[in-house]
Order: sequence, then C-alpha cells, then structure tokens
Amino acid sequence: MAFFEQHIHDEPKTFLSKYIISYDHKVIGKQFLWYGIFFLGVGGMMALMIRWALAYPGVAFPVIGKFIFPATQGVIPPDTYAMLFSMHGTIMIFYAITPILIGAFGNFCIPLLIGARDMVFPTANMLSFWFAVVSGLILLISLFTPLGAAAGGWTSYPTLSTMVGSPGIGQTLWCLALFVLGISSTMGAVNYITTIITLRAPGMGYFDMPLTIWGLWLTAILNAIFLPVLGAGLLLLIFDRVFGTTFFLAGAAATSGTGDPVLFQHVFWIFGHPEVYILILPAWGIVSDLLSFFARKPAFGAKATALAMTSVTVLSTLVYGHHMFTTQMSPLLTQTFMTLTMTISIPSAIFFANWLGTIWKGSIQFTSPMLFSLGVVFVFGLGGLTGLYLGTVTTDLYLHDTYFVVGHFHYTMAASVLLGGFAGTYFWMPKMFGTMMNEFWAKVHFWITMIGLNGVFMGMMIVGFAGMHRRIYNPFVYEFLERLIPLNMFITWSAILMGFAQIIFVINFVHAVFFRKEKASANPWKVGTLEWTIPSPAPHYNFKEIPVVKCGPHEFGNPALVGRDYQYQTEEVAKA
Amino acid sequence: MILSYLTSLFFTQTWAKTSTSDLSWWQVMAPPEDISVNGHLIDWLFYYTTGMNIFFFVLVCAGLFGFSFLYYHKRHPKPYYTYGNKKIHVIIATAIGLAVFLAVDMNITRISNNDYTDVFANFPNENEEEVLRVQVMAQQWMWNFRYAGADGVFNTEDDVITMNDLRLPINKKIVFQIVSKDVIHSFFLPNARQKVDAIPGRLTRMWVELVKPGNYPIVCAEMCGTFHYRMQAYLTVYNEADFADWMNEAERNAVKENELENADLYWGWKWEL
Repeated sequence: MAFFEQHIHDEPKTFLSKYIISYDHKVIGKQFLWYGIFFLGVGGMMALMIRWALAYPGVAFPVIGKFIFPATQGVIPPDTYAMLFSMHGTIMIFYAITPILIGAFGNFCIPLLIGARDMVFPTANMLSFWFAVVSGLILLISLFTPLGAAAGGWTSYPTLSTMVGSPGIGQTLWCLALFVLGISSTMGAVNYITTIITLRAPGMGYFDMPLTIWGLWLTAILNAIFLPVLGAGLLLLIFDRVFGTTFFLAGAAATSGTGDPVLFQHVFWIFGHPEVYILILPAWGIVSDLLSFFARKPAFGAKATALAMTSVTVLSTLVYGHHMFTTQMSPLLTQTFMTLTMTISIPSAIFFANWLGTIWKGSIQFTSPMLFSLGVVFVFGLGGLTGLYLGTVTTDLYLHDTYFVVGHFHYTMAASVLLGGFAGTYFWMPKMFGTMMNEFWAKVHFWITMIGLNGVFMGMMIVGFAGMHRRIYNPFVYEFLERLIPLNMFITWSAILMGFAQIIFVINFVHAVFFRKEKASANPWKVGTLEWTIPSPAPHYNFKEIPVVKCGPHEFGNPALVGRDYQYQTEEVAKA
Repeated sequence: MILSYLTSLFFTQTWAKTSTSDLSWWQVMAPPEDISVNGHLIDWLFYYTTGMNIFFFVLVCAGLFGFSFLYYHKRHPKPYYTYGNKKIHVIIATAIGLAVFLAVDMNITRISNNDYTDVFANFPNENEEEVLRVQVMAQQWMWNFRYAGADGVFNTEDDVITMNDLRLPINKKIVFQIVSKDVIHSFFLPNARQKVDAIPGRLTRMWVELVKPGNYPIVCAEMCGTFHYRMQAYLTVYNEADFADWMNEAERNAVKENELENADLYWGWKWEL
C-alpha cells in the first residue's frame, strides 16, 4: 500500500541528533512520554493542593506548603487556588494526557503497527515536539509573572479572561501557550492522518489495522479539524487583551464593546466537545485491542467497533451545545442538542457489547495491561452513564457547574484515559525501551489507583448532587455545604492515596528504563501485530523488509493453529 | 507505617466530624431541600435516570466480573474462536444499543424536553397573570436585587433595592431578569434546582414558584474571579402576609431613603416583556 519508497538513512550518532533533535518517530514518542509524565506530576501536585484546600480550608499545605506559599505560612491563598485549578485543568488536558495518549502512543505506535519505517513528515514530527516544549515553557513561565498564571478556569470564559477580569500577563501567556500547542498538535495530526493513509504495509486494508490505529486516526482527524477553531478563538482573545478589540466584550455597566462573551463559548465548545473524544478515542482503541490480545480471542465485532468509533467521531462534532444550556438557549436548540447528544449512546453501547463480547468465552490472562483495560471498561461505564444527567437539559439546570460535572468528566477524561495510557505504557514498554516493567508492582499500582480514583470521582459526584458548586475556594462558607466536610476529606484522602500509587508507577518505570538488566524478548505478550515481528526495542527504521500483511490484527485461538495460539499479521490465516 | 498513620489520621478526623452532626449518610448525600413547585420534576428525572443507569451498569459489571471469573485462563484454557460477526452476535449487539437508546435515552430526552418547554422555559404570561418581577444584577462579587416599588415601574426613584438579600413570597410566580455588570456569573438557587447565567450585554430570565417559607442560600455557580466562592446571597421566603408587610415597609423606606441624585441608584432597566 505504500505510495513511495521508504529510504533508510544512517543512524544518528551524536547525543544531540539521537535524543534531542531527533527525526525518529520512536524517539519523539518517548520524548512525548517523558514530557507527559513530567506534566502529569505537575498537574497531579496541583490537584492535591486543590483537594487539600477543599478538605482543610485554612490549614497549611503539609510538608512543602511553607516553601511554596511563604506569605501565608503554607495556607493556599484564594487567588492562588483559582490559578491552581485553572492550570491543573489546562496542564492535565493539553500537557499530560494529549502528549501521552496522542504524542507518545501516536508517534510510537502508528508506524510500527502499520508496518512503516517512519512518519511521512519526520521534520514536522520533530517540530511538533519542540513546539510543544516551547508551549510548555510559556505556560510554566506564566506561573512566575507578577499577577500569576491564568486564573479563569481551563475554559477561560470571557469577560473574566479579558482585561476586565484578568489584568495580568499570565492569561495572555496562557492563550499564547495553547495557540502554540495547537500548532504542534495540528502538525502531529496532519502527519498521523497522512501516514495512516499512505504508509500502511502492503495488504493492510483499513479494517486490518489494529483498533489502536483506528482510535489514533480518528483522533488526528478531529484534531486537524478543530484545533484551528480553538486557535482562532484564542487569537481573538489575545486581540481583545493586547490590541483592545472587543470581540468578546459586550456593553454592560463595567464593560464596553459590541461583541459577545457567549461567542467565545461557542467557539470554545465547538472545539471543546470533540476534544473530549480526541482524548478518549486513542484509549478506546488501545483497550479494544488489549482486551482481545489478553482474552486470546479475536476482537468481537472489530469492524463494528471501528465503525462505532467513527460514528462517535462524527456525532461529537454536533453536540457541543449541551455545555451551554445555562446560557439560556431556545428550547428548539436544547431539543436538538439533547437528542444528538443522546444518540452517542448507540455507538457507545455497541462498544460495550463488543468489549464484553471479546472477553466472553475467552481465556483471560490478567496481565497488567489487561487489568488496566478492564479498569477502563468499568470507569468509562460510570463516566458515560453519568453523562446522561448532563445531556438532559432539566437535570443540567441543577447539576451544571457543580462537582457532579467535575466527577463526570474526570471519570471519562481523567480516569478512563489515564488507565488506558497506563495500559498502553505497560504493554508497549518492551518495544519502546527493550525491558519489561515489574508485573507485581504494576498490579499493585492498578489496584491502589482504582480504589483511589473511584473514591475521588464518585465522591465528587456525590458532593455535586448534594449541591456543592465548582471552583470554590472554601465550600464551607456556605452553611448548606457544611455537612459535606467529611465527604470532602474522604475525597482528599482518596486523592492522596491515588497520588502515592503513581509514585509506584514512576519508580517501576524509571527502574525498567534505566536500571533493568534483563532484556525483553521480541514478543513477550505473544501477540501478532506487526510491531511484535521485530526485535525489542524496535531497531533503527523498524522493518528491514516492509512486511506484507495477510490477516487481521486479532488472530487468536484459531483451532487450526499448531504450537501457538496466535498468528502474526504477516501469515495467512491457518485453515484446518 | 506511614500508611497506617495516614489512615488513622483520616478516620479519626472524619469520624469525629460525622459524630458531631446527627445526619445519616443518606441525608448528607441528598440535595438541598426542594422548596419550589417544579423542582420535583428535576429530582424525579434524576432518580429515574439513576435507576436506569444502575440497571445497565449492573449488566456491564455482571459481564465484566462474571466473564473475568468464568473465563480466567486456568479455568477456561481454550478460547472460543469467533469474530463476533455471526448474525446472532450482530443482532445482540444492535439490540443492546437500541435498548439503551430507546429505553433510557429517548425516554429521558422526551421527559426532559417536555419539562423544559412546558415548565422551565414556559414563562408566565405577565399580561394575564400577576407575577412578582425582580431584576438581578450580578457583579464581582455580590448580587443586586431590584423590585419595582410602589409605582410598579423599574428604574425609578421608588424602587426597592437590596444587596445580597432577596425576599420572596410563597405561592406566587416570580420572574427574574438577570444581567451582569462585569464578568459572567450564574444565578443558582440550589433549593429551587435552577440556575441561569448572568451575562454582560445579555438579559437572561428565570422563573420560579416557591412553597416553603424559610432561609435559603443563593450562590454564584460560574467562576467569576478570586472571590467567586464568597459570592453568596441570602434568600428569605415569606408567606403571603409576611411578604406584604415586608414589602410595604421596604417601599416606604425606599421613598424615604433612596438618594435621588446618586447615579448608582439607576442600574435597572425597563422591564422587557
């Protein structure tokens, strides 16, 4: 299927060309992985500070609080709290999950899983990472500006995010950072789409691609279409802030202008709703594959899963209005958006049926990638179902902007995506770094994370239904929320537990990358997709000979097979 | 050891707090008391959706945990070789999809849409029935309320103006028109289950009818700056007679005390029908 010859150049020799300015998709993938893990740590620390403030308002943040907030003896001040939750959201979505799921797995997996030697545009790929670094630096620098970083929430609605509400330069830098990141992701997305279309190994039709590739492909399409929309909105916001235009400023007592703040919400959510699918689609793909790999059974209805993912992708572009019900839409619009939103449950129910169908009558091996994949099915079930309350307009009138929303989107975007990311990390570790991670500690990591995250996010949904609204520094200035103090403490301690579990992961990961002596075999998981036909770690330019694909990615348990229960994609399906 | 220290800290702190209040866990988790005529529609839909969700999530869990147990590789070494593309498989997967869609989604969409068009977005016809009109102006970080006063016309000298103090009668439809002075806020009455954004440059509306006298919170639900969390107002609900007494006195005081020369008095607008 390849449209052109893929040349092999010499291996880079210097440290700089090998690890820093690298054109190799595998190195860029690893760079994104480290980048994402770094920001995951930063964002996670911010999450713990937020949780601490909510459970123990006015109490100094333990251990490091005194160094970070010396002016208040370690107590998190309210303006800093607003910065923390704004930056937590921004960092987690754009600087942790996007680089890990899309940057790292996208770059690493796409060429390997479709039998290509590299991406189509290696230079754009390299630039994509370095633009992301520039963006990350801008964001981190904004934390140290005089009035601090952006503090208007990760959605940064005007007019709060214009000069009326945020006079500091932090908000401008926030817009700039996301704009630059948009450039980075768009370059990546164009690269992914082109690579998947042009560089599939000969014989690999679209339905012979692993579902991971389907997920990454659909994500890249959404990214390429909708990130420019966000970029446009951010640019207008920068104009409003720097050049005094009034796109988002309307005439009111304290503001003047002929624009409309709600316009930004439209622009933001046209991008923002696809964004949640941008984050979850790669995880869905990875999970769909891993369930089949470790149930040792072909993926149940793989074609239907791929088509269901495609229809979710299309539908995700049509539903953004459900984020704006409380801006008082006409009932005609609420009706439309509500119905379209609910339609997403048909393809979602089809995945769930197919996921359960995959493990049905399988021969399940509970390896760490499998545990994390099953975890995704569990938490995404909760996250998806709780979305129903927010899709129906009347319940949304009560639940909008409460912690219920926070719990819901953390289940879908944080819990599911993180577990999917961990599943992928444990699974591709041997191909990435040539060593395996410790299985025992991986399972400990899984169970503690699972307990912690359900405590946190279920707790959030409960306090949200009980009436606690979002983004408040001290909920207990409200008499009717005082009864929620114990629940908030429970959530905070669950979050701390979950935070500690990630230390296990980091130690396990760093140990496997740098210190583990025993090398992984070429195919430790006994799986037949193309990346497992080459040695571990994947060699320079991946495939000496471009493989020829003769069967699908999920050939397991074929009774006609002798000696092993899986087939490589380069083999004809065994016939009895 | 650290873990046991942490858990002990957690349990002693949590349980100590719980024991001081005599609320059961169910009471803690329940939403604030519903004091409106229509709030029960929202609560009912919430509980109905919850019932449906529990049903389907139990099915998912039955599959997830049941299959994990039954088909553990030591218990079930030979997997069943199928692509899941037999007719029966496709029918079952489609049936599950349609069952969820029709039984849950379309059902709650229909109910919610009917509630919204017939009740929450169906504003009382002010030409035909008598309603109480209140203008609300949100600003960083307080709520301004304005009643029309004795002449029934807004933005005149005799308007009753309050700050963070909203008083309403029971058994009367109340219509709010809401604006914002600076950034976006959200006017949220947890006890009436409703909120609507206050947006600079736009006028939004909300209507409620209350049934239970008492003191309740009004909160800002949309992030509006550093002191967003302090943007609290107080709702006092009176029975009809008490409200009339309060209103009469407030109107008398307004005529006496409003500073007619002060431009800040006239933040209201002509009531828009």
